Amino acid sequence: MSQRVFAVFMTLLFVVIVAIPALAKGPVTRFYNYIYDPGQLKPVDSHIKVKVGDIAPDFALPALSGKSVKLSSFRGENNVVISFIPAAWTPICSGQWPGYNIVEKHFRDNDAVLLGISVDNVPTLYAWTEQIGGLWFEVLSDFWPHGDVADKYGVLRSDGMADRALIFINKEGVITGLQVADINIRPPLEYVFQELDRFSSR
Amino acid sequence: MTSKYVAFSVVTILFASVMSVGMQTSLHATELLPDITLTVPENKDYRDYLGLGGTPGEEFRLAEIDGDILLIELFSMYCPYCQAAAPKVNEFHTLARQQEEKGITIKVVGLGASNTQFEVEYFRDTYGIEFPLFPDKTLAMYKKLGGEGTPGFIGCLLGNKGEPVVVLRESGGFESPEGFLAQLLEKAGYK
Repeated sequence: MSQRVFAVFMTLLFVVIVAIPALAKGPVTRFYNYIYDPGQLKPVDSHIKVKVGDIAPDFALPALSGKSVKLSSFRGENNVVISFIPAAWTPICSGQWPGYNIVEKHFRDNDAVLLGISVDNVPTLYAWTEQIGGLWFEVLSDFWPHGDVADKYGVLRSDGMADRALIFINKEGVITGLQVADINIRPPLEYVFQELDRFSSR
Repeated sequence: MTSKYVAFSVVTILFASVMSVGMQTSLHATELLPDITLTVPENKDYRDYLGLGGTPGEEFRLAEIDGDILLIELFSMYCPYCQAAAPKVNEFHTLARQQEEKGITIKVVGLGASNTQFEVEYFRDTYGIEFPLFPDKTLAMYKKLGGEGTPGFIGCLLGNKGEPVVVLRESGGFESPEGFLAQLLEKAGYK
């Protein structure tokens, strides 16, 4: 009996000291507690295999929407921006794609679709993007064969992640701009706008 | 035997609670706002709002802002929670300005963590933000202010001749603009 009473009090102790303060922090704190910080990484750990003027290598990847998205299906219809990110649940990536949520109009104004690509599998990407609050663009999984598309473009790192890269492809399927950024730094929005605007200025 | 367990647990709970409250109080009681320097904005409305006499491009200290209370918002254009919180922060700003009728001047500035000037301006235009936003591209100000995620808020008491005193820190946004304003006023000693 005495042990039971002790157990009840220890449970109360846990609730008062640990559980209540943790819950009181709210959703934002709880999300950022889940972010894994890999620390500073080698800025670029891949060798780009495409260049401006090339026909962008075609691919088909599973999307979170359940569709299989094929790059060449946009040919003649839309400009395409591919955003390769290294990994879900990491600090910079978690602060890159959500920013594109408020610039959707600028993509549409330039007749461009955005395809986000990560080497994570679909369930991981689903959980992460739901936690972020959702994204307006297609998120594609380059999980299997692992990093195959990233490798085709030459942005697959030696550790199996992709480098942080942006590829701009016009309606003819030609690469008009690309940037393999320092993996530790988010590419500035100015660059994205500059390349999007070039779609319309041609 | 049972009474010993009960007594031990009760004492432990009380001790932990007292320590927790005591630590929080001591952390916030006399915290001075770190010395932060910003560039005087080109926008005349911002200069007037902040009560700055300097020339655009010159530097000014947060401590020079004219008002009784200063609220600093740490945000990022890329942060989904900052995007979601923006309308509530705007509401707060409107309510804060209305306090002038009661003789209390509250000023708000936003520091864009890891944001460029372009990104800060895009965020401002997207959400129709009326208070001044400044880029903090290198996160230098965020780190100096002890930021703990975005959105984050730091409330300071201005108006005395000394350095601004931090009276409130809030990470992760707030539920109600009215409630947050009441909390800020209370912490600043106005209620």
